[in-house]
Amino acid sequence: MIAQLILATLTGLLLLGIHRKVIARIQRRPGPPVWQEILHMLKFSFKSTWIPATASTVLFRGVVLVAIGIWTAAFFVMLTGGSLLVIFGIYMLHKIVEHGFGLSSGSPYGKFGGVRSVISAASEIPLFVSVAAIAIFTRSFDISDIVAYQQVHGPLMFIAFPAAVAMYIVILSKMPFGPFSIVESKELVSGYKTEHFGIWRAGLEVCNGLKTTVLLATFLMVFVGQLPILWLGAGMLLLVVSLSFACALTPMLSPFDSVTVQTLVTGLMLCYGAVLFIGVRA
Amino acid sequence: MAGASAGITAGIVNMLGILPLWLYSAVLVLSFPVFIIGLFLWWMAKEGTEDIPFIGY
Repeated sequence: MIAQLILATLTGLLLLGIHRKVIARIQRRPGPPVWQEILHMLKFSFKSTWIPATASTVLFRGVVLVAIGIWTAAFFVMLTGGSLLVIFGIYMLHKIVEHGFGLSSGSPYGKFGGVRSVISAASEIPLFVSVAAIAIFTRSFDISDIVAYQQVHGPLMFIAFPAAVAMYIVILSKMPFGPFSIVESKELVSGYKTEHFGIWRAGLEVCNGLKTTVLLATFLMVFVGQLPILWLGAGMLLLVVSLSFACALTPMLSPFDSVTVQTLVTGLMLCYGAVLFIGVRA
Repeated sequence: MAGASAGITAGIVNMLGILPLWLYSAVLVLSFPVFIIGLFLWWMAKEGTEDIPFIGY
């Protein structure tokens, strides 16, 4: 299982590298090599490190362990076909982790990144409506049941298309350089991760790799169904390239605009959920 | 290395059917971050062994 976790981490980092490369090519820049994020993680892990004088030592170190731990749990839940609610509970917990990263350092840039992470929690609400819409069809929150439902009725992407779009926007809000990436915008240097460097930053990169793999694979399992490993890889690649196009062609929104757009998506999803619910009751 | 040992041992014991799945997952969630940070702490450049800057002949 540890080998699978390491493989998932490296896959996620490779996909993030491809994301950067595709964005660069769309913007007519050469861009970094696709394995840049893996090198980035290794580079940080080899460097010597220290903890800023203004930091809370326990939180500064502990939040890195928590970040890797929660996505390890999410990976495990995904592999064993566990509840979608647990994965999205972990997704919400990641907001608290980002907040912890920002606050633990004592840096104003980190703190602003942490605060933006909290205000962008609006992105989670379409997620929960999306999960509820799926459950109306499948009568279960378990990934194994959702996969089994799709083997009989076909992919949920066609049956519950608005839910797929809402979850796509949620994943988009987690991708770097996207329209909703307000937690890492450049006026905050590196946002909540500004002061984490050396092995602590490398640990954060491991978390990002795992998170990317879990979110993309969960999207495909929930909306397309169980795929052979090669098709799953191809699907994740396709998903990342489409997300890269969205990130490359859309300017980063201001924090308030970002929250407004996500709230509008939530409103639309609530209407969709209500229509579905009334349809089921009728 | 303690993290890796705990994770691998839990995996073997789980395969033998002695350890329930939920306990195996709990061990893994706790041991994997320890393994990663332990590995990085082990191979990172240590403080106090800086290179001597080149100061000419």
